[in-house]
Amino acid sequence: MNEVCFKNLNKEECHSLKVYRESGGYKVWHKILQGEITPEEIIDELKTSGLRGRGGAGFPTGLKWSFMPRQSDGQKYVVCNSDEGEPGTCKDRDILRYNPHAVIEGMAIGGFVMNASVGYNYIRGEFMEPFKRFEGALKEAYDAGLLGKNINGSSISFDLYTHLGAGAYICGEETALLESIEGKKGQPRFKPPFPANVGLFGKPTTINNTESFASVPEILANGGQRFADLGVENSGGCKLFSVSGHVAKPANFEIPMGTPFKDLLEMAGGMRKGGKLKAVIPGGSSTPVLTAEAAMAMTMDYDGIEVAGSMLGAGSVIVMDDSTCMVETLTRLAHFYYDESCGQCTPCREGTGWLYRVLKRMTDGDGVPEDIDLLLSVQDKIMGNTICALGDAAAMPVESFLRNFRSEFEYYIEHGRSMIKG
Amino acid sequence: MISDKAKEQIDAWIKKYPEGRQSSAVMEALKIVQAENANSLSAEAIQAVADYLDMPRIAVQEVATFYENYNHKPAGKHTIRICHNISCMLNGADNLIDYLEQKLGIRTGEVTKDGLINVKKVECLGACVGAPMFQIGDKYYENLTEKKIDEILATLK
Amino acid sequence: MADIEIEIDGNVVTAQAGEMLISVTDREGISVPRFCYHKKLSVAASCRMCLVDVEGAPKPQTACSTPVNEGMKVHTQNAKVKASQKAVMEFLLVNHPLDCPICDQGGECELQDVAMTYGSDMSYFSEGKRVVVDNDIGPLIHTDMTRCIHCTRCVRFGNEIGGIAEMGGTGRGEDLKIEPFLQEGITSELSGNMIDVCPVGALTSKPFRYALRTWQMNATPSIARHDLVGSNVFAQTYKGKVRRVVAKDNDNVNETWISDRDRFSYEGLSHENRLLKPQIKLNGKWKEVQWNEALEFTVRGLANQVSDNQANEIGALASNTATLEEFYLLQKILREMGSENIDHRLDIKDLENSITLDSNIKLTELESIDYGLIIGSNPRLEQPMINHRLRKAVLAGADIDVVNVMPFDFNYRINSENIISPYQTATILAEISKSVLKSVHAKNYLSNVSARDSAQSIANRLLTADNSVIILGEHIINNPQAISIAKLISEIAQQTNSATLNISATSNSIAAEMANFVPGQGGLDANAMLAAKLKAYILLDIYPEYDFHNSVKALEAFGNNTFVVSMNSFKDKVISQCSDVMLPIASFYETSGSHVNIDGKVQSFAAAVSAPSESKPAWKVLKVLADLLKLQGFHYEDSTQITSEAVNQNRQKATDERPVSVIAEAKRGIDVIYQKSPYATDVLLRHASALHATKIGQVHLASMNKSTAEKLQVERGKKYLGVPVMVTESVANDCVFINARHPIGGKS
Repeated sequence: MNEVCFKNLNKEECHSLKVYRESGGYKVWHKILQGEITPEEIIDELKTSGLRGRGGAGFPTGLKWSFMPRQSDGQKYVVCNSDEGEPGTCKDRDILRYNPHAVIEGMAIGGFVMNASVGYNYIRGEFMEPFKRFEGALKEAYDAGLLGKNINGSSISFDLYTHLGAGAYICGEETALLESIEGKKGQPRFKPPFPANVGLFGKPTTINNTESFASVPEILANGGQRFADLGVENSGGCKLFSVSGHVAKPANFEIPMGTPFKDLLEMAGGMRKGGKLKAVIPGGSSTPVLTAEAAMAMTMDYDGIEVAGSMLGAGSVIVMDDSTCMVETLTRLAHFYYDESCGQCTPCREGTGWLYRVLKRMTDGDGVPEDIDLLLSVQDKIMGNTICALGDAAAMPVESFLRNFRSEFEYYIEHGRSMIKG
Repeated sequence: MISDKAKEQIDAWIKKYPEGRQSSAVMEALKIVQAENANSLSAEAIQAVADYLDMPRIAVQEVATFYENYNHKPAGKHTIRICHNISCMLNGADNLIDYLEQKLGIRTGEVTKDGLINVKKVECLGACVGAPMFQIGDKYYENLTEKKIDEILATLK
Repeated sequence: MADIEIEIDGNVVTAQAGEMLISVTDREGISVPRFCYHKKLSVAASCRMCLVDVEGAPKPQTACSTPVNEGMKVHTQNAKVKASQKAVMEFLLVNHPLDCPICDQGGECELQDVAMTYGSDMSYFSEGKRVVVDNDIGPLIHTDMTRCIHCTRCVRFGNEIGGIAEMGGTGRGEDLKIEPFLQEGITSELSGNMIDVCPVGALTSKPFRYALRTWQMNATPSIARHDLVGSNVFAQTYKGKVRRVVAKDNDNVNETWISDRDRFSYEGLSHENRLLKPQIKLNGKWKEVQWNEALEFTVRGLANQVSDNQANEIGALASNTATLEEFYLLQKILREMGSENIDHRLDIKDLENSITLDSNIKLTELESIDYGLIIGSNPRLEQPMINHRLRKAVLAGADIDVVNVMPFDFNYRINSENIISPYQTATILAEISKSVLKSVHAKNYLSNVSARDSAQSIANRLLTADNSVIILGEHIINNPQAISIAKLISEIAQQTNSATLNISATSNSIAAEMANFVPGQGGLDANAMLAAKLKAYILLDIYPEYDFHNSVKALEAFGNNTFVVSMNSFKDKVISQCSDVMLPIASFYETSGSHVNIDGKVQSFAAAVSAPSESKPAWKVLKVLADLLKLQGFHYEDSTQITSEAVNQNRQKATDERPVSVIAEAKRGIDVIYQKSPYATDVLLRHASALHATKIGQVHLASMNKSTAEKLQVERGKKYLGVPVMVTESVANDCVFINARHPIGGKS
């Protein structure tokens, strides 16, 4: 546990440059500055490590970095996505607070590999404490001559800036995030073109999640294979899981991929007093909900969670006990997507509101039996028809809640009240 | 409309972006101007930011109404932004919202008569393992209880 | 780009690698529904209506944003596509009101059309529909934003074509609202195009509102005559009246856009000031008469005034809105009678010094210039569609420098705006010329010229640019050195291989030149005709108070001892005062005829409606008049015969021997540049009420700097030549720039 991003978690002043350096931080960066490693070698190591995007989509990081046209002329950018906002997710906040230098070093390495001399870390606007930490770390790094132009007399330049959000979940979508850095509404761009070709300010850009960047220095320091070996096949390394909800000790845990869910639940102190496990959302609010049985049989890795019927997503494990009304919980999630839809494309703009209103009517006691089919039909019509993944994210919970807990919805419609809460 | 100090702050943000891309600083510029003007953005404020950054007014208005952190009507001196999303809800956020409303004598969305506090229900603030939680200013308050809320409210002046 | 082959619905079609799928399907006539896509706007891919199935792609793809590549297999009709399109349609209708019966867009609504094909016959939506409060966004566009489907075409139009971001999408999610900044009005001179691009009834024409159902109208293709472009339009008519004007596509002329001026001028047609009946003046009193009586009265009057060998005692003047055929017939009548006193240049103080400069660049070519120099023009308001092409050039990377007397509100980036006094315009051009010619044998009038930096840099740009153009504008026409300015431009253009564009005269003035509606050998020009106090005048749609550079002299000339035949579409007091006979003629859209645009393109049009009451197309009146005058050669079956005769006549252009003078005449006093408001440039526009309620229509100012104001002893709050004074340091010295809605008093 706690071997990569949270390596120094238990040390005093773990966010400081001093502590980071003492544990081997910036060694890889120094090697790069001295010309001891090539970009190709780094990409190979990352591919070997099996590191997959930690923001939710799980795209192999090494492959993503290899897509950048590094030889092309002109400015290129690396961007870190610290716009953490998926309900249930709060890991990047802790990385920024407790290990900001790993993010800086990871981004600098990314800049070197992709020949991008400028990076931006997009931190959600509410994260003022993490922002100040990160800014403090940036200052330390600049003062120590780790960043800037022609660093240490090398030909390598890397300038890193933070950009703050202002309250919009959608900016976690990478192209919406780019729009936001450009000072616009965070409306996702249609793809193609992909950011690797037309990204920030129209220039080739690679966007990775905070945890992905923070994992890179450790991977390169000890070799990709060691990282891969920490995890299981197809899911290399460790991963941060935010365990929240009805557990005794909610917290972030950095554990090897493939750890059984029941072990993770135990780490979180088990169910809170008096509760019995009823349901788990394993990867953040956008991923399908699982029954207790499915969850208890699941291992925490990409394939394991998929086999159980959901997705690893951002590793945000929301645990619900038997006091939870699934109808009201889904209504709350539906409200979230309705509130956070950017409004740009039709199915999401109109569909999220439709889903929410039907559910709201249901919880107001005015549901009708046809509502269940209606909800299934509306979510199906959103699915796959939108510009970005928010549409799918709004649709997936609806389908899974209804599939796994249909009787609660039927009860609510029939009696006009919750089966659980009465 | 924009003080010299605010201009200095905005200029520091502008420097982070390439030449001619000063509109990238609009989100911070709006926050800075909002903070200087009783926590809300008037039409004049938006106009001033547009002029300062050489942007069309409507483009600034789009940004100011898209993101959740801007106010368009007078807010309290302190805004309590309480999360009511799933993890917080599972941990009793709804009861705490009721408690806050009762204690302050206002509904969410309203400002206390003395103009000190307003309460806003917000979506996930990314501190789910500390649920239930709220934010006041730059600070997060986690693992809230009614007692803890009493203590926090007592410090707001 | 290379040609590739792709397969659509099992058929192999050829496409260009990288072009968007929707262009291929459109070209092939394969129907793909869409709302946000517009061929002249950037791709938004947000309505999701054009989803198609691309083999290999897990999700349906939007045809508008999917670039084609070799071997791509696309299905536009399969079950997957139908399901997606039906789903999107259902979502679009969720919050769209079902108020088609009272919606002005009914019958031409893209949503309605697509819903008929792709929609479901019932809705499962039973929650409350969204209601959006409407703001007043000005006198031209009516909003019903509850109907808005958020396609953002109007937003993109403003950003990309109109060049001012006025509409935007505020809020987010379901609350996304398309609106201008804080309920302000839309100000673009091209704003009406937002009505055309709006696929639903959210933005409709305010003047047209609730007038008619669109399918009740007939659409006649026509040509707008308010500027040098001759934008192609449809005049939509009902029961003999033009009820609306919309754009007609013509990529070589106006693409798919028209100016507000062209769109809304039709409103003037039904103004109560229309002249509807022939009238003759008997003993100082007006009497309505039949046409034959009026024409006989006319012929008699002309004969009484002008005996056979005194034909040069008669003169003809026409306004620049006349058609090619009207110009041609009227000059032919005069010349058959033996008079060469013919002119259409009414606005120019000194016709001896009038500009001749050819245009030798086509509208479409303006888009691909890499450098432009504008001299004396605010093209955005004067020639909106020419300005649109220049804007496209700038967006593509061109630089434009400007030499003007004050800064104007350009809707694109200007490289340098040189604000100089009118008396220096010739000088700076001489400096540019000298910089251009520096190694070549310099002309002797350049011997004392030394070029300032800005002139050198302009010269440099002209020399190095691959495709450059020098544009000569309206503000120069009354510059005492106008001819020198034009000659210098011509010379610089030759030396730098630049094109020239002469936009100093507008409306149908090129047709007037083509019809030879200018004084011939021994003939008098417009000013000379007024000064000579001829015995008879024939005036074609002239409004003396508005149209002449010197209206006082005009009124004197049309005084007591002369016989004035006025052919007018509108009546006014001054015409009544100075005419002896008033013949009611057709206005725009009421007559067939031709406009000749800046490309020299003759664009003919048919009448969309009959002229109201007893008024008649002027060409018909002129033809009958010619017959009554017993003149030969006026047997035309229809107006097209006149057109071809006008186009094919031999015109000889005299070589211009006037000398060039470049000496700055600072002592000459104060130059007044008078420009009519863009919505007051002709009589029809002056009667189009909605346009006058717009911001552009309301501008009415005499701008000058402080030192000029002191010299003229005026100040802010006072009037100069009857126009409110605006003191601003941005105006060049010794110069007043007047932009006025009505004629200015006592100008000379």
